[in-house]
Amino acid sequence: MKIAAVGIATMCLVGTLVAGDVTGKIAFDGQAPKPNRIRMNADPVCMKAHKDAVLSQEVVVNKNGTLKNVLVYVKDGLGGKTFPAAKNKLVFDQIGCVYEPHVLGIQTGQDLEVLNSDPTLHNVHSLSKANTSFNQAMPMKGMKLTKKFDKVENFKVKCEVHPWMSAYIGVFNHPFFAVTGDDGSFTLKGLPAGDYTVEAWHEKYGSQTAKVKVDASGKATADFKFMGK
Amino acid sequence: MLLEKRAQTPVEQRSYSKYYLIFSGILFLGTMWSVWDEVRVRRPWKEYQTAYTSMVIEKLDSLRAATAGELDSALVLQLQDDLAKAQEGLNSEEYRAAVEEKTDLQKELDVATREWRFARSRSDAAYYEYKKSLAEGKESSSLREDLAKQDASIVEHAGEMEVLNTRIAGLDLVINKYKDVVDSLQAEQSKLMAPINAIDLKLERAHRAPVQIKQVMLNDFEFTPFSEIKARIDRCQTCHTGWSEPLMEEAPQPFKQHPLPELLAKHNPESFGCTPCHRGQGPALTAGFAHGDEDHYWETPLLRGVDTYATCNTCHSNELVLKSATPFTKAKQIVYESGCFGCHEIKGYTDVPRIGPPLNDLTAKTTPAWIFSWVKNPKDYNPHTRMPNFEFTDEDAEAITAYLVKIGNESEYRTMRPKGSFAGGSATAGKRLFESVGCQACHTLGENQVVRQTRGTSYDIAPELTRVGSKVSPDWLFDWLKNPRHYNPETRMPSLRLTDEEARHLVAFLSAQKDDRPANTGKLDLQNEERILRGDRLIREYGCSGCHAIKGMENEGKVSVALSDFGRKKYEQMDYGDTKELSRYGEEEYVKYEDGTVGVQHTWAGWVWGKLKNARQYRTDRIAQKMPLFAFSDEEVRLLRMFLLSMTRDVPLPAYQHAFDKRMQDIEEGRRLTLRYNCVQCHAVEDRGGYVVAQYEEPALGPPLLPESQGAKVQEAWLHSFLKAPSTIRPWLEIRMPTFSLTDAEISKVTKYFLGLSKQDLSIRDYAATPIEEQYLAPGRKLFEVYQCAKCHPTGNVRAGGEVSASDLAPNLSLAAGRLKPEWILDWLHDPSKLQPGTRMPAYFYEGKGPDESVFQGDAEQQIKALKTYVWSLGARQRSVVAQTR
Repeated sequence: MKIAAVGIATMCLVGTLVAGDVTGKIAFDGQAPKPNRIRMNADPVCMKAHKDAVLSQEVVVNKNGTLKNVLVYVKDGLGGKTFPAAKNKLVFDQIGCVYEPHVLGIQTGQDLEVLNSDPTLHNVHSLSKANTSFNQAMPMKGMKLTKKFDKVENFKVKCEVHPWMSAYIGVFNHPFFAVTGDDGSFTLKGLPAGDYTVEAWHEKYGSQTAKVKVDASGKATADFKFMGK
Repeated sequence: MLLEKRAQTPVEQRSYSKYYLIFSGILFLGTMWSVWDEVRVRRPWKEYQTAYTSMVIEKLDSLRAATAGELDSALVLQLQDDLAKAQEGLNSEEYRAAVEEKTDLQKELDVATREWRFARSRSDAAYYEYKKSLAEGKESSSLREDLAKQDASIVEHAGEMEVLNTRIAGLDLVINKYKDVVDSLQAEQSKLMAPINAIDLKLERAHRAPVQIKQVMLNDFEFTPFSEIKARIDRCQTCHTGWSEPLMEEAPQPFKQHPLPELLAKHNPESFGCTPCHRGQGPALTAGFAHGDEDHYWETPLLRGVDTYATCNTCHSNELVLKSATPFTKAKQIVYESGCFGCHEIKGYTDVPRIGPPLNDLTAKTTPAWIFSWVKNPKDYNPHTRMPNFEFTDEDAEAITAYLVKIGNESEYRTMRPKGSFAGGSATAGKRLFESVGCQACHTLGENQVVRQTRGTSYDIAPELTRVGSKVSPDWLFDWLKNPRHYNPETRMPSLRLTDEEARHLVAFLSAQKDDRPANTGKLDLQNEERILRGDRLIREYGCSGCHAIKGMENEGKVSVALSDFGRKKYEQMDYGDTKELSRYGEEEYVKYEDGTVGVQHTWAGWVWGKLKNARQYRTDRIAQKMPLFAFSDEEVRLLRMFLLSMTRDVPLPAYQHAFDKRMQDIEEGRRLTLRYNCVQCHAVEDRGGYVVAQYEEPALGPPLLPESQGAKVQEAWLHSFLKAPSTIRPWLEIRMPTFSLTDAEISKVTKYFLGLSKQDLSIRDYAATPIEEQYLAPGRKLFEVYQCAKCHPTGNVRAGGEVSASDLAPNLSLAAGRLKPEWILDWLHDPSKLQPGTRMPAYFYEGKGPDESVFQGDAEQQIKALKTYVWSLGARQRSVVAQTR
């Protein structure tokens, strides 16, 4: 027991001493599909929630030519190291009959608060395989559910009542993951020095990997480029 | 020389000491050898057991270290600290004084209690004396005073007791203040250390494990060939020590854990032994003899891998489906679907309907040229047909065609509509229909192989239609599509309730599916009487009527050998023809050499493999063979071989057999029916089938799976009328539930099957008279609105052609009262995915609570009851609508 404790302590020490950030951008090239307009006629509550047209979030190309909603994470290279779950809870909101965020990364054992901010019925149906799948109704505005996942997996979440609603959740047993936003960039913070395989995943364009070396300087980059079809 | 010299020595003087020495030396060595042989050589299991114990200890040690490493060491230390501090409290002055005082008070209380009891007895005695004096008419005041005195004494002692009890309770508060802390800390500690303690217990057991023979004895397991009861002795676990140890999952044999723990949960080797499933020589204690590899004369050598499932059949021969034995279920299905029982008598397949269509009216359906080429080689037209290839010569095929054409010309079958009624359809509309209404569930066409691949058999269950336009006449096809039972009353092709227009579209589409390969049939002469007679003889000889109803062949029997004891056939009794012998028990089972010859292992298994791969394998110049050629995949051959291995007459005593009670019989009948009508192609039942669902983006868009609770779900009368004439329940499905025109007897089998699976008995109930509990109606309506059930479930008449919306996604609830069982609605609302995995219906209730706390304080049970009552009332109010939609 003592040896293990000392081991963990040393590991943490070494980790904090030489840790680096991996940064990068997800470029997009080629023809992006014309974003589909979501027709929310089936539920008047959803229609009322938006003044402007709502576009599908499947492929969102940012103004600087980068791709939004790409999940980037360390796929390989951490060996058997374990990392305690982050204490902060993440929020997964259903607002205006759209999931917010559309792509989300979370650690095993970390709390996910599922929230319904709409005055209409939503059901959250996880199509997870490794983690127990759930399908729960949230008929009231402000209703909350707390979920935890214990297996590493990437799965889809959907709402049967509003068939256009979909989101993706990636579960990892480490904290080194990020989702690209409006500038298409990402940072994987605090990686111990070492050789890693970093993967970038997009719901339509699949995944790509890159080898990254984090050395004592503590800076490394990994850029990806997805091609439109 | 020496002997001569010795002969001269007088007998009395001869010395035998040398001989004694030599022979006693030999005797000594012989004894040593026999001890060595007995104790070491013949007991390899001793070494196995020692090795196993040290392996277990090693694994447990490392597991213990890992478990200890996972413990939060800070928490452990903290707990130890806290516990020590809490235990110190037990030494404190306050605690000890309290305990001491409590002991003293307890003694005083005992005295007081005793005195109180005595006082009560004295009072009883005084009361008796007083009453007695009254009865005797001489009321005594002294006796009355005595009674009053005794009563007062009771009160006095009771008072004493109360005071003492109060003081003790006060002390208990002090004592518990200290004790509770210790107890809760100890509980926490033992909970934290539980995994470690469990490992320690196992370690201790491993350290003390004795080296001994482990024997299972089944005193009354089976009969000898002379019908005497025979015991079975089983010592396998002497060497196979780790069969139940999860730590040994990856260990080498004989220490490895059994790969199917769930199967062993039902057949515990500790009481059931191993040889009832694995065969082998139970009492033997060396691998070679126990497994029968060294002892070639042992009749039942060890079964390994897939072959082991063969022995399921000894006790489960009546059953088609065994949930924990998928290979067994698959093998039985292949036999059922391939029609082996058409030619061979097979236990368990005596009353299965023929698998092929009747051949009496063929000329109305197709052309003589097509019949000829089909008879010659069916795989040429349809590589996935179940019809095997008889490799007939042109002359033989022509003769058979001549006979079939003759009876076809004599047939009385005429299409229902005048010729030409099929005309006028659109092939494009037909294609759309073909792809949506459900034809593709059974029939493959062109590139779309999804269902075939999901099903995974080498054969199709219904004809592929890629070339059907060159086979069938459009008049016949129109008649067939409109009502398949008109042409063939026994067919399992159902009616899809096509309108005339729809049927015409389909005819147009299917007729365009031509065989674009050049036809190579010469001119056929089918009128020749002699040829027709020859055809008659060939059909009888090759047993065509095993699969097809053929006019004039109604009384033909099975043409080939019975297989009911085939598993016991010896390899010496088999003929291997001209095949070359491959090494026994080797990896290679079947080799085709370049010169056209074939090699098989000359064993039972090798023979069967060769036969199933190529049924004419063992034909020689002198020995003809008639069994046709099948095209089974390697996996299917392996499964069929396992099935054949199961064909023995060994039956254990009834106590060891699976009880085949009324419910099991019902279930089994249902399984046969679902195979016969191929229900499982669309609906997954008992974890098998539902192949067509693979075509859909999500399961909810395909036919629903039928969970084991199906019998508990729908009302029997509803099921009956639904199967008679299916009505729409799920308007969002494009695929149609066909009309199978089942008889009442068949529907009752389906009903009992579903009831049996959900462990319910058939009972007659008046569902329409289910009372509506008024007090739940209003809360139910409120919850129905708050929970927005109507977002997905329509509750009344649905307008056709409206906007596609969520409300197209769930069954109309006005059907509920006429369709569902009320108790099932409760179970369903509790947890929908439990009853129907993958359902789109979300769960509303978790941890005993519903989302709206204003109704019944959020109590799930009450809310569910309210919702059920309201849903039930929907149908009850609109009964006429329910009747219409049916």
